[in-house]
Amino acid sequence: MLPVILILLVVSIYDLIRRPTIRRLALRNLTRRRGEAALVILGSLLGTAIITAAFIVGDTLGASVRDHARTNLGPTDEVVRAIGLGKSGEIEAALKSAPLPNTDGLLAMAAGGGSVATLGADPRAEPFVQINEVDFGAARAFGDDEGITGMAKAGQTPSGNEAVLDQNLADEVEVKAGDRIKLFAYGQERELTVRQVLETKGLAGYGSSNLFVAPGTIASFVSAATLGDALGAAGNPPSSLVLVSNKGGVFDAADFSDSVTKELNKRITDLPGAEVVEAKRELLDDADANADQFKQIFGGVGAFSVIAGVLLLVNIFVMLADERKSELGMLRAIGLKRNQLVRAFGMEGAIYALVSSVFGVLAGIGVGRVVVIFAAGLFRGDGFRGGLDLIFSLNSSSLITSFMLGATISLVTVWGTSIRLGRLNVIRAIRDIAEAPPSGRSRIRAVVFAVIGVFIGLLLLQSGINQDNWFGALAGVPIAAFSSVTLLRPLVGRRFAVILGAGAALVWGIAVFTILPSALEKTEFNAFVVQGVILVGAAVAIVATNDDLAIKVVNSLGVSRRTLAARLGFAYPLARVFRTSMLLGMYSIVVFTLTFLSVFSNLFGAQAPRFARETAAGYQVLVDSNYSNPVPSNALKEADPNVEADAVLFQAYPKWTTQDEHEPTSWQVSGFDEALLARGTPVLQDIDPKYASSRAAWEAVLHDPSLVILPDFFLQGGGPPSTTIHAGDTIRAYDTVSGKTADLKVAAKVESDFVFNGPMVSQAFHRSFFSTSTPSRHYVSFKPGADARLAAARFEGKLVNYGVQADTFEDKISEALEQQEGFLGLMRGYLALGLIIGIAGLGVVMVRAVRERRRQIGMLRAMGFPSRVVRQAFLIEAAFIAIQGIVLGTVLALVTSYNLLTHSSTFGGQSINFEIPWVPIIVVLAVALVASLAASAFPAGQASRIKPAVALRIAD
Amino acid sequence: MSPIVDARGVTKVYRTGAVEVPALHTINLSIEPGEFVAVMGPSGCGKTTLLNCLSGLDDIDDGAVMVEGADIHKMKDGDRTEHRAGRMGFIFQSFNLIPVLTAVENVELPLLLTGVKSGVARERSLNFLDRVGLSHRPKHKPNELSGGEQQRVAVARALVSEPAIVWADEPTGNLDSTMAIAVLDLLQEVNDAGQTILVVTHDDGIAAKAQRLVRMADGHIVADGLAAELLGTGNGVSAPGTRTAK
Ligand SMILES: Nc1ncnc2c1ncn2[C@@H]1O[C@H](COP(=O)(O)OP(=O)(O)OP(=O)(O)O)[C@@H](O)[C@H]1O
Ligand SMILES: [Mg+2]
Repeated sequence: MLPVILILLVVSIYDLIRRPTIRRLALRNLTRRRGEAALVILGSLLGTAIITAAFIVGDTLGASVRDHARTNLGPTDEVVRAIGLGKSGEIEAALKSAPLPNTDGLLAMAAGGGSVATLGADPRAEPFVQINEVDFGAARAFGDDEGITGMAKAGQTPSGNEAVLDQNLADEVEVKAGDRIKLFAYGQERELTVRQVLETKGLAGYGSSNLFVAPGTIASFVSAATLGDALGAAGNPPSSLVLVSNKGGVFDAADFSDSVTKELNKRITDLPGAEVVEAKRELLDDADANADQFKQIFGGVGAFSVIAGVLLLVNIFVMLADERKSELGMLRAIGLKRNQLVRAFGMEGAIYALVSSVFGVLAGIGVGRVVVIFAAGLFRGDGFRGGLDLIFSLNSSSLITSFMLGATISLVTVWGTSIRLGRLNVIRAIRDIAEAPPSGRSRIRAVVFAVIGVFIGLLLLQSGINQDNWFGALAGVPIAAFSSVTLLRPLVGRRFAVILGAGAALVWGIAVFTILPSALEKTEFNAFVVQGVILVGAAVAIVATNDDLAIKVVNSLGVSRRTLAARLGFAYPLARVFRTSMLLGMYSIVVFTLTFLSVFSNLFGAQAPRFARETAAGYQVLVDSNYSNPVPSNALKEADPNVEADAVLFQAYPKWTTQDEHEPTSWQVSGFDEALLARGTPVLQDIDPKYASSRAAWEAVLHDPSLVILPDFFLQGGGPPSTTIHAGDTIRAYDTVSGKTADLKVAAKVESDFVFNGPMVSQAFHRSFFSTSTPSRHYVSFKPGADARLAAARFEGKLVNYGVQADTFEDKISEALEQQEGFLGLMRGYLALGLIIGIAGLGVVMVRAVRERRRQIGMLRAMGFPSRVVRQAFLIEAAFIAIQGIVLGTVLALVTSYNLLTHSSTFGGQSINFEIPWVPIIVVLAVALVASLAASAFPAGQASRIKPAVALRIAD
Repeated sequence: MSPIVDARGVTKVYRTGAVEVPALHTINLSIEPGEFVAVMGPSGCGKTTLLNCLSGLDDIDDGAVMVEGADIHKMKDGDRTEHRAGRMGFIFQSFNLIPVLTAVENVELPLLLTGVKSGVARERSLNFLDRVGLSHRPKHKPNELSGGEQQRVAVARALVSEPAIVWADEPTGNLDSTMAIAVLDLLQEVNDAGQTILVVTHDDGIAAKAQRLVRMADGHIVADGLAAELLGTGNGVSAPGTRTAK
């Protein structure tokens, strides 16, 4: 990228200094009409702005997730952990056996899990609370910077029944210092007094909701009788911890993580059950992975807008060139060399490109800010990835990269257009005649290129088929088909050559998901960009070459005074096919993406009841309870006499590896028994052919401990599922406590694990294999006539001591879908930027069209054309483009989304019913059309006010 | 008979920033229906300006122009435009054809504008193209025609709607002598049919066809009389090529 910019710039800078003729030409043209120059820059900066905004959104998400390193860890870089109390002394001693290089502190802690509720008739509760016991003095001294520990103002270590809460927990249950709360853990409860609330930061933010209690409190909860159960509590059994702080601040200390972890592991080899968690490093890696994923998705969506921006840019430069054609022809006639001409135009363009890239980056920062503000609402709340406070952030490297991308795109466009211009025949340029079809050598060259194109296309196709390469599968045939147009042209004429070539590309683009499903199974988001470009490109080519036919038909119906405006409005776009195609392409691709996303975001929302039905296995309410104090079935029945049946799921949080993910990664796992299958089964897809039905697969897993049912999103951060694991493949589970591993064979997959069960195994296996297996989840059904939603609320109120959270499946899933929908909505908003390009682009092009045609307009007015007709002609011209673009973009987007849903496994093969969300689509398109016409109204008005006598004097 | 065009004290000053260029000085000119008037004068003396101001294409700074009894500069723009469409035809120094329309489409524009049915309009336009010697190229776009051919399309376009007044600014500038004569004959024919013609020219031959000759210099009318007489009296009041210093 950089070399391209540099070479092109060096040429221009050399010319600027050493070539006065070129310099004068370029600079005069630039300054001749400042308004025009501003317009060109305005049109060109939009693409860069969108690229910049994509980067900023990525940076912001990354920084926001990384900020958890500050709020949840502070000085802590690694954690050495052992289940059971009273072991931290031992661990600390082992670690301190010799000085630990690259560290600056150790801190012993005891921790456990519980739930907290307020007192009174209508208590507020937080079911998942981290209970910590630590010496506050030692905590403040941990690491080398008291400021990042979060404990600076924490005072004394709590004693007696004192509790110190972090702000998160205090907000959740709405308490302040002096209030009384109830703590439930391991089957016991105790009343505590809130002494103080600490900012959620550093050690004070160690869990997601933190409660500091007097040392010994957890031990007093875990009576001898319950010790066994307590140690088995999934997620948060009572544990002994030693936190380790590496040298350095919050973020850079993670650099030592590798070496320190290695050393820590060495020192605890003699301590059974102790493990080292690379807390900081994992968190930061996660943050970066998340940010990259968002950058990719936003970058992908943004690519549509960028493409629209490039098309606009090409259009603007072709218009500039067209307008100056005869002038440039004259210059050539009086002896200006071809390459001087190209360089003069290139220099002018380079200045536009650089200035617009700078302003584009600035505008992009603004746009990014707006997107982040909207996104903040979406990410807050406790849904999306546990809630995330967005911190606006931009890296200088992102700004530089987007500037370079923008500058490269515009420079390459500018020079491409200049070179094309330089090739003009002098006489044809002066008289403004269309360039002749290639003949002789250039014809041979074109044929050679075409043959190469066909060949490359076929090679790509082959790699698509043989190596399951999505790009080859998608683009191979279209590249070959487009290239073949040149070859077909002499045989069947231009019109049919384009229809055949572009038609083949279009059909392939639509049907490829049916023809080559395996190649497109693991697609990236970019595949949709490529597909969109192929479809829109092909359709625009066909439409633009055949528009004249349509208009001929219309004209043959007769032209009258009333349709005169239409005749003029159609005449210009038809006479300039290349420009029209660019404009139409720009507009269509924007509409395509918007419609596509509208369909998807609405589809998800509309499916909630069905997903609920398919997930719930005949039950109505999902009950989760605290791991350290799981709710027993009989407590549910006591709380609500309408409970008819419940199915218990045992849960644990072990690590996994798969063929896609070689690094052991944590993910929930659930164990079920017959009860889950008693009233129906959760719906499966991709069932091992060995099993005749969903039920057969469930039964098999129930009785065979080596089988598992796998969710599609397993081990995946977000975005569309992109797994290669299928029924019959094997995954490996690691029990981190015992160190055991087990290989599990996938019997079937569930399409969307909205309730986050994770892999499903038999309860017998779950309890015997996973050390922390806990019966914390219930599927509950009620007697006929009972109100499930009311019952869920009742559970939460009455079973506060178990930290119960209850929701109907439908509510739970709607909430999950809303987040997906919200995310798509965010993308749509972001894409609306593309629409701005489309609309502004059309406006800019029309403004230029007016100036290009002033003389002609003057003549029309002299002949007696009312100004109203002139205005109408311009509006008809804009509408002609906009309406075609809307129809093309919409139809293609609907066809593509239908195809994706019905034929491809890309969306998990979810048998989503295809529905067209007419209302939002029509609203979006109507807005687009109206806005486009409004944007053209200004130039149209300008045109109609042109004074004939003035316009006619303007030199051609 | 009342004059079809009656200009009283018409004054026009071009303003470009602070600079004022007086182009017409209190011009009085009255043209009777059916007259064929030639306007001659050195380059830059204000001939095009006169044509623009009398036809209402351009605004004036002082005076009044009555066209067919109505003060053309007091009309609303819409009415003036409609009046032009119905009653006037223009031929300009440069052809000003619409490049994206074919020759015949260019010619039929004025007819369609006045509400003539498209079939009739097409037939009359082809007919007129024939009269200017272009029957063989009706479907060509302007830039596929020679300069002379383009000028003839422009002539056909100006005359096709049989306007009451034809304003022609150097209509034969791009034509060879035979073609120029053909176009002149056409103007003559049109004039014989009763249409009024005002033609700006440098060419004595054309001026000779006119009944009346108006000589201009420096924004003034310096002579106005029978063409035959004025041309006979030699080459005008001001010598050709004298340009007024501005
Ligand atoms: N828009 C304008 N601004 C300033 N001065 C102008 C403008 N248009 C014309 N002029 C000046 O007004 C004077 C008359 O111009 P006009 O075009 O009427 O001359 P003309 O007699 O038609 O000349 P020619 O025979 O060369 O066409 C000229 O001196 C010209 O420079
Ligand atoms: Mg003139």
